Amino acid sequence: MYYRYVLKELSHHRQRMLVNCLGIAVGIALFVSINAVSAAYRKAVSLPFKNIGADLVVQRPEMRAVDSGQPAQSMRGIRLPISSQNLATDDLAKLRAVPGVDALSAALLLWEFDRGGFRTIMGVDLAQPSLGPVRVKDWLAQGRFPDREGEVVLEKHYAKFHQTQLGDAVAIGGRSFKVVGLLEIKEGSQIAAANIYLPLADAQALLEKGAGSVNTVYLRLKDPSLLDRIKAEIVRILPGVSVASSDSFLEVMGGVSRISDQFALVVSLVALAGAIFLIIKTMLANLVERAREIGILKAVGWTGADVRKQLMGEVFVQALLGGIAGILAGYLISYLLGYLSIPVSTPWEVNLMPAFAKDAAAAQTIRLPVHLSAGLIAASLALSLAAGGLASYFMARRMAKMKPAEILRQL
Amino acid sequence: MSEAILVGVDLTKTFGELTVVRGASIAVREGEFVSLVGKSGCGKTTLLSILSGLERPTSGRVTIAGKEISGASEDELALFRRENVGFIFQSFNLIPTLSAWENTALPLFPIRMTEAERRRRAAEILDRMELGHRAEHLPAALSGGEKQRVAIARALINNPKIVFADEPTGNLDTATGDAIMAILNRLHREQGMTLLMVTHEPELAKTADRVIRMQDGEVLS
Repeated sequence: MYYRYVLKELSHHRQRMLVNCLGIAVGIALFVSINAVSAAYRKAVSLPFKNIGADLVVQRPEMRAVDSGQPAQSMRGIRLPISSQNLATDDLAKLRAVPGVDALSAALLLWEFDRGGFRTIMGVDLAQPSLGPVRVKDWLAQGRFPDREGEVVLEKHYAKFHQTQLGDAVAIGGRSFKVVGLLEIKEGSQIAAANIYLPLADAQALLEKGAGSVNTVYLRLKDPSLLDRIKAEIVRILPGVSVASSDSFLEVMGGVSRISDQFALVVSLVALAGAIFLIIKTMLANLVERAREIGILKAVGWTGADVRKQLMGEVFVQALLGGIAGILAGYLISYLLGYLSIPVSTPWEVNLMPAFAKDAAAAQTIRLPVHLSAGLIAASLALSLAAGGLASYFMARRMAKMKPAEILRQL
Repeated sequence: MSEAILVGVDLTKTFGELTVVRGASIAVREGEFVSLVGKSGCGKTTLLSILSGLERPTSGRVTIAGKEISGASEDELALFRRENVGFIFQSFNLIPTLSAWENTALPLFPIRMTEAERRRRAAEILDRMELGHRAEHLPAALSGGEKQRVAIARALINNPKIVFADEPTGNLDTATGDAIMAILNRLHREQGMTLLMVTHEPELAKTADRVIRMQDGEVLS
């Protein structure tokens, strides 16, 4: 291949080159942006779990939640959430024994109802592995975490709403607790976002016959790719429990997230196929236009392979330029889409608030965490070069049929 | 008398029902300047294409420098042309995006050699054509005569055993055409270049050592 000839040919036919590059760039930009946004959606729904370092949340819903024939519990005072009834010590032992479970932490989530409304209370044992609500100790905005009985930490907005400050006393279940810290919940971590946090033993003491109770178990897996298998295993060994993962968010969100997840690849490949079709059509049209040149080259002693290499060089440069332009455009589109905030609805079983609460169903908005991975960039470049390769293949097939004498005779 | 460098025996070329060349036989000796004349459409350009290896005959055989090329594949013919044959076309057939020196060096591009060597060989031959000062110019910036001189330079760059010229002055005015013929005659006389030229102008044909006439696809003399 003669590089000087390639560059001269391309710079001489800028318009033709621009059309070819643009064709590939549009296809690649669509491929990049669709895949980046799709990945961002998946990342967004995985944030609630990622932020708390867990892969799975295991709870045992109240029978009434799955069987309406069961009697309703009282909605006064301290009670267990409908989605999180007591888990037996035996259940925890079975969970620990599930192959592939790396770490486990258990917490006690309580609801307290009074005339003024309700609040969510999370009993946490900080000595457990740092996952689930244990993570909130890293999110302290002021003060410290409770280190003795009778102390609590409040979520910052809850404290502000109730005009409570450090050192104030709050009444929970008729008992007085001192506020020793305020914490700020990290964006997207609603599955660990209670109003009040206190030591696990204090929370257990608030609950009638609550000694040793836990109702929410957070699991970290050794290999997250085994998630589905481990989920199925847990449901098998602990019938009646609910097992939530980031997939649960995806199911609740449905719509765009599900479409982008399932069809992103198909849609982007269709876009790319359109671009490849365009470039093949343009290149073949170019070939007819350049028949005279090909005839001259063959006449002066260029073999079919020599001409093919030359033309492939031109296609390669255009595919590369189109690919790079497409990646840059795709990055720009993805960057702008990164300014969008998407609502991430919490599945009922991991929603800490009662279903009837005013804003229980309201989704938390998360800024779309768009990110262009090295893998996506490499795949895009490979695709643009493959598009060029495909165009070259069709071009070479057409060119092989071009005989120099026939071409020159027609001039 | 030198050996025949080009021999065509009983050559026929048909396109469908149409027979363009009928049983033509021709021989050109090394260092000879032969002109092939005949009316337009008599088959002389087709015969030239067959003799130069641009086209395969329907029947008959062609031998250049002792090698029979009639049965060769497209790529074998291309390589053979690169090493043994030079072409000068009526319409110059230069690549518009390449400069004069690059057009001259076009047959050398597929050959493994340094850019400097290609450029040196092109410059040397362009100097002989008195075009050294136009080496960097694109064909669009050259006159008709200059374009044809670049085409002659391109035909000579691979030191061919024989040069085929198809109406080399056909697109030029009389004065420029005469100048081009003078160059071809000089190359033939001074360097012993073997030349087979197709023309329909009897005056030009007379400048050759020998004239071969064609009529209705047949070689008459």
